[in-house]
Amino acid sequence: MTPPPQGASTDRRTLLRLLGLGAAATAGGAALTGCSKEAGSSGSATRSDAIRAVLPAHRPADLLKPDIPGEGPIPDGYLGYPRQLVDAVTEQPGRGGGTIRSMSPWWGPTPPTLGNNSYLAAVNAKLGVDVSPSLQDGTTYADKLNAMLGARDVPDLLSVPNWEVDKVARFSDAVRALFEDLTDHLRGDAAAKYPYLAALPTGAWEYSVWGGRLAAVPFPTDGPFAWALFQRRDLVVKAGLAAPTSPAELHELGRELTDPAKGVWAFGSVFDMVQQFYGCQQTWRRKPGGGLEHKFENPAYRAALEFTAKLFADGLVHPDTVASKGADEKQLFKAGKIIMFQDGLGAWQGVQGEQSKVLPSFDMQPVPVFGASGGPAVIWGSEKPIFFTFLRKGLGADRVDELLRVLNWCAAPFGSREFELREYGVEGKHFTRAADGSPLPTDLGRKELGAQYTHIGGRVPVKVRSGDTPNFVRDYLDYYRKNIGLMEKDLFAGIKLELPANWSKLLQPTEDKIRDILRGRRPIGDLDGVAKEFLASGGEEGRAFFEKALADNGR
Amino acid sequence: MTTQLSDPVPATAGGRPPRRRRDRRPPWEEPPTPLGVFGKGVVLTLLVAAVLVPLWAVLVTSLASRETIDAAGGMVLVPREVDPSAYVTIFNGGQITRAVWVSTVVTVVGTTVSLVLTVLAAYGLSRPGSVGHRGLLFFFLLTFLVFPGLVPSYLVVTGLGLKDSLWSLILPSAISVFNLVVVRAFFMGVPGELLDSARIDGAGELRILTRIVLPLSKAVVAVVGLFYAVGYWNAYFNSVLYLDDNDKFPIQRVLQSYILAGQSPSVSGAAVSLPGVTAYPPTLAVKMAVVVVTVVPAVLVYPFVQRHFTKGVITGAVKG
Repeated sequence: MTPPPQGASTDRRTLLRLLGLGAAATAGGAALTGCSKEAGSSGSATRSDAIRAVLPAHRPADLLKPDIPGEGPIPDGYLGYPRQLVDAVTEQPGRGGGTIRSMSPWWGPTPPTLGNNSYLAAVNAKLGVDVSPSLQDGTTYADKLNAMLGARDVPDLLSVPNWEVDKVARFSDAVRALFEDLTDHLRGDAAAKYPYLAALPTGAWEYSVWGGRLAAVPFPTDGPFAWALFQRRDLVVKAGLAAPTSPAELHELGRELTDPAKGVWAFGSVFDMVQQFYGCQQTWRRKPGGGLEHKFENPAYRAALEFTAKLFADGLVHPDTVASKGADEKQLFKAGKIIMFQDGLGAWQGVQGEQSKVLPSFDMQPVPVFGASGGPAVIWGSEKPIFFTFLRKGLGADRVDELLRVLNWCAAPFGSREFELREYGVEGKHFTRAADGSPLPTDLGRKELGAQYTHIGGRVPVKVRSGDTPNFVRDYLDYYRKNIGLMEKDLFAGIKLELPANWSKLLQPTEDKIRDILRGRRPIGDLDGVAKEFLASGGEEGRAFFEKALADNGR
Repeated sequence: MTTQLSDPVPATAGGRPPRRRRDRRPPWEEPPTPLGVFGKGVVLTLLVAAVLVPLWAVLVTSLASRETIDAAGGMVLVPREVDPSAYVTIFNGGQITRAVWVSTVVTVVGTTVSLVLTVLAAYGLSRPGSVGHRGLLFFFLLTFLVFPGLVPSYLVVTGLGLKDSLWSLILPSAISVFNLVVVRAFFMGVPGELLDSARIDGAGELRILTRIVLPLSKAVVAVVGLFYAVGYWNAYFNSVLYLDDNDKFPIQRVLQSYILAGQSPSVSGAAVSLPGVTAYPPTLAVKMAVVVVTVVPAVLVYPFVQRHFTKGVITGAVKG
């Protein structure tokens, strides 16, 4: 037998002592963490007149006349690639400053870095200054941001997706402490010095104001709708079925198309679109008697929930969607295993282009929007920019000017040589031309490009016809034109909201409960309980916050 | 009476030793019922299938053509052909090769550094009367309970100038206290008399460690080495925090970028359309080929260490 260890052993008494101290330290740590998240958690709203005062004066850049002019938030459409490109920027942006470090999100395999990447070399030669981009995984971007901002370690240019802003504790404090105030550089006519930044939509600039100061350059959205319900029109037509115009028809269509023996189900995720068909608001709407009403309080929400739960209960939803949140619905849709699912309109051109090469008859189309409950549908959307680009604080006016000139180059619009170089690289190397003149990426192009300059510079959004998606631009813009009138008016447009921490924390758990109701794991009747709990544990606080934001702005 | 007590194995002619019982079941246990054997067989088959079927699906999908994947609507279970194009794609790109190289370097260097540090620390802490061991052990154990936090860790790593260096993937996780406790417990099981006799023969502490303690502790060192190696190979989050240079990304980071490529981020009730982002996502076969590349080293190494596994872990665990 081995003798019991002596000396360095941790006997019971030592262990208890250790645990006691450890517990105290843990409690202390928790208290400290608590402190750090406390501040700023009640949210804030910047008045809309304060925002208007700092915006750049809008000057459209009419480089190339669009075939289908956009209206309001709808982007311009081009039915062909221009034969003649123009030089949009005549003076090199670089002013002899050192290498510019940038960081932006990317969702895919990362391209080679500066020094090993001929695309970066080509663009940097044009810029007259080296930009060294770091592409970080878009799915873990908030983790990285939290650490970097907390440690005050930021690159010269930092691109932040709008949805990450809410995930970063005390983001507005970080903006004040770490990023350059751009107001004096871009307010009003000062922006004329950077013509392509001045050409970005004012709706996008409005969101770039923090604490009454212009803090970032926006990357405008290329279509404000949040979702569309996509269908495999080729398969629906083949089955001899017509587009649904009512919930009953949609259900019937689902029944006709579902064939588990063949592994085919009619639906993937559809709940957000069903809510819109039923005329339910995205979050808040005005009550007739004043004040705000949450969608849980709207009978349309309950009707949409009941309808969607019935789709699940009747076995019309693909088992992968029933089982998990992360079902690869795009893959199932491409394979014809689901016939309808909801996705952002941004997914449309990519899927259609890719799949029509494999299956020429492949036809992805949005289901025409219909009102489900007598009244019209309500389409959710917003002009919120996709990204914000911040400039590191304390670089000095000359360097800020140089960086803005670089961003101005990166914002050069469609029809310019700068646009082509930025989006496709060098002709013959990163892309070749199709018969209609549009660029087709080469293998090197796919490997070396990762939106390194696109995601830091805003650009006026456009939709351009490509060889593999000949009908896309018309279809896309038609869908927008038909439905833009149904788009829900953003009650808070032009007001910069920083949501209370309690509100943000509440959303996910509530969403999970609703998922359970949809899947039949909880009865429909539980909705009342879920709604009550939601309002009691932060929902009412949220209502007060949003109502105050409206009242402060005289709305 | 005598017949009942006699040896159940009949003596064989020619003095051959008695045949060994095949099932090694103790004589007082009843033989298994057919139903019991069948039940066990079913349960074990299901368990094995739960592990092997996903691996099989990954392997088959990585070798499937695009048409087969489309026909299956995703993961493929029944192979129809062997199409190596996914592997050609990933090894032509350069990124995977580089990432495998980075991960190999980090795993080899990291495991060496970790083992040296863990063994030295564990030996010191396992010897009675070594200087300051109570305080040191306390600090080690404290890290079980208190995590330093994201921002302080980040500040330390950047303050030491490790950002964008591969050392940032090694040093912050160089010592796992769990492994340290396991090794220390194992070392404490080495009989004190052995060490005393070495001391009488004039051996110093380093000689005792390398000539006596380590040779007796091969099992635990092998197991802890495996833990470290697998940990380094699978490590992901430190590279998210500390590496900006895309050329230094380890394989898990690259794997993640392949797997999630082309999925639109969805933000509280709204899909985000990302212009240009979803244009060229890698195919499912390519994604699965990357998974295979990341899994293969672990599958290759494990059988060689497996024989030490039970001994190393159990001894460490029960002597704690």
